[in-house]
Formats: sequence, C-alpha cells, structure tokens
Amino acid sequence: MTTLDTATRPDLERSVLAEVTTMIHDVVGQEYAEDLDITMDTTFQDDIDLESIEFVALADKIRLSYGSSVDLVGFLATMDVDDVIALSVGDVVRLIADGVSGISGISHPADAARG
Amino acid sequence: MAEVSANGVRLHVQRLTPADGADPAAPIVVTLHGMLIDNLSSFYFTLGTYLAHAGCDVVCYDLRGHGRSEPAADGYDMANALADLAGLLDALEISRPVHLVGNSYGATLALAFGLAHPERVASLTLVEPPFLIDGLGEQMERSLGQVLAAASHSDVERWVATQAGRSVSRAMATTQRLLKETTIQRDMLATPSFEPAALATLAVPVLAVYGGNSDLIDQAEGLASLLPDCVLVVLRGHTHAVLREATEHLRALTRWWLLDRASAPMPVYTPPPGAGFTVPDWVRDKTVPADLLSGPAGARSA
Repeated sequence: MTTLDTATRPDLERSVLAEVTTMIHDVVGQEYAEDLDITMDTTFQDDIDLESIEFVALADKIRLSYGSSVDLVGFLATMDVDDVIALSVGDVVRLIADGVSGISGISHPADAARG
Repeated sequence: MAEVSANGVRLHVQRLTPADGADPAAPIVVTLHGMLIDNLSSFYFTLGTYLAHAGCDVVCYDLRGHGRSEPAADGYDMANALADLAGLLDALEISRPVHLVGNSYGATLALAFGLAHPERVASLTLVEPPFLIDGLGEQMERSLGQVLAAASHSDVERWVATQAGRSVSRAMATTQRLLKETTIQRDMLATPSFEPAALATLAVPVLAVYGGNSDLIDQAEGLASLLPDCVLVVLRGHTHAVLREATEHLRALTRWWLLDRASAPMPVYTPPPGAGFTVPDWVRDKTVPADLLSGPAGARSA
C-alpha cells in the first residue's frame, strides 16, 4: 500500500486507482487484462464482465491491502444486489480514498444517483 | 484469498465480520451454496455482508469443485460434503454451535449436517432444499444428467461461443467441467435416505423458506411436518431462485431469525404483484430454450 498521508484528493484517487487496477488485473488474469482500459468510469459488469466470485476475490485483495480503514462489508451490506452489480471502479476507488483519508460514514453511489 | 484444508481438499473461505470485529458471543453463520453454477458469492452479496454488518460472524465457503475451491475429481457424495464442512469448522477452530444457512442443495446438506452433528449446530435456515425421504439421490442424478445434456447441446455451445459474455461463458465452463470431468453426477446416487425418526427428534430449530412458484413447493409441507421445531415460510410469487428474487426480505427474515427472534415478531412480507416470478418451461424441464440463438434469451446476453 502506498503512503498516502500527505496526498491531495486527486493524487490520492489516482494512486488508489492504480492499485485497484493492479488488483483487477491479478483477479482476471494478465491475458484478459491486456485488453482492458480501466478508468474511474469502468463498470465491473458491463465493461469488465467480472464474475461475481471474481468480485469477491477483488474485495479480499482490498481488505488485505487496506485493512479495517475501508469498511467494504458495511459498504456492500446496505446496497441492493443490483446496485453492487452496477458499481464502477470509481465507486470503489472513492470508498477506499474515503477510508484511508479517515472520512467516516458510507456514501453509496446509488444514493448519489438518486439525488 | 483465505484457504483451508479440510477432509483432504482445499476450500476457499471468506470470513465476514462487522468493521469493529465480531463480538465473541456473536452468532456464527456458515453459508452453503447450491450446486454446479453456484458458489459462495451468491450468499456473500445477499446475506453474507448484510448479516456481518448486523453483528454476525459469517463464514462463506465454496463447496469442493465450486468457485475457487479445489477442483477435486471426486468426493461429491453427501458423506464427503459433510466431512468437508466438519473439517472446515475444525480448521477454523470453531467449537461453538453454528447457524447453518443453505440454499438449494446447500440447504439439503445443511439439514443432513444438522442430523449428523446436532451438537455443532445452533439453527438451520434452509432456502429451497430439495427434500425427499427416499430417492433424492436418484432424482438428483437424473437432474444432473438433464443439465449435462442441455449444456452439451450444440445450440448452447454455439451460444456460449458467439453470444454469451465472459462471465456467463466461465460459469458454463465450470458447470461443464464438474459434470464431465468429475464424479459429481454418479456421487449423487450415494445420497442416503432421510430417516423420519431422526428428523422427528432433531433438537435444532429450523427456518425453511420456499418460493410459492418453485418446482419444489410440493416438498415444503412434507419437510416441515417431519421436523419438531420448524418455521415454514412460503413466499408467494417466487421460484427456486427466491434468494436472489426476494433478497431484501430474506435479509430481514434471517436477521430476525438469528438476532431478534426472542423479542420481535417475524417480518411481514409483501409479495410481488400478479403472478410474480415464474419458472420458464426450459428451466423446469432442463432443456434448451427454443429461442436461444435468435430470441430474447440470446439477445439479452449478446
């Protein structure tokens, strides 16, 4: 995990995106990863077509990398399954960035979409 | 990825706890998913994270040959499945009785484990368990044969190759591997009968959930009538896929069952409008949909 204490928010998100991208590559395998251009807007289902068990593997990597600073269980627990399926890489990056920045509380992408 | 060795096989495990850790006295929940196309993720995203966030210590694991567990060539009979679970609990040093939550064949396994090891089980939540006193193994074996025939049909193979996306193709590949390269189908024939006398003395509370439109609904009353302490919930307008169809209610129902049963009434369910969810003929008959390559099924997944 990168030391992020003094990073600005855009720097922080760029750094986390790079780390999450590496994790996604590890999960899907390098052969498939070579064809993926992962950005904040990339969606796990429509763009990557990630298997649900692969999303579990990604969540496990995030837990191992960021520990209790990122409450992924709490994040997923109160979301509809359809919302989980529709998550983007940016949703996960922002969750991690909030966690490592010490921002408490969980904001859901679905809530933001609903206004 | 957490892995444990149990009964000679490597099992993939995900343990979910609240952000501040599980209370030492928190209910330990162990989930058992269904057969073939299923894996631990179906519970992880429906009840797993939800119950962990509510305070439970949740263990989701992939059955042998499924998900990210070892693709074992054999040992898919019920006796080995129960030994896998017992070994898993030993490996995780879980000595307190656990709450088993199973879906489909995983629920049948949970019931069998409760009968074999009642001292290790605090309660059973059985979502759509296939249940027959006699002949369940033969029925399962026939059913898997039908799935293999459908999955091997040239139209299905063409659809997977040309129209299905990556995740569907991979799930189909896992299903075909299990059916073609392991003993899972014939291992079903080793399923022992359920003994009515043993069921009648099962000192473990059971929550049984069926969908009113499920092809297994005729088995629900038989199961509930044989158990001394069973709450049967039939959710009108739902099918065998009730865990996915009625996730929000099953979250509330299992939270009540595990955490609030002593102090609160059972959550009331509002069924979907009209007939609700129904089972397509090709699913019930385990055949190939007629419009797979040209109609809505193909178009949806293209």
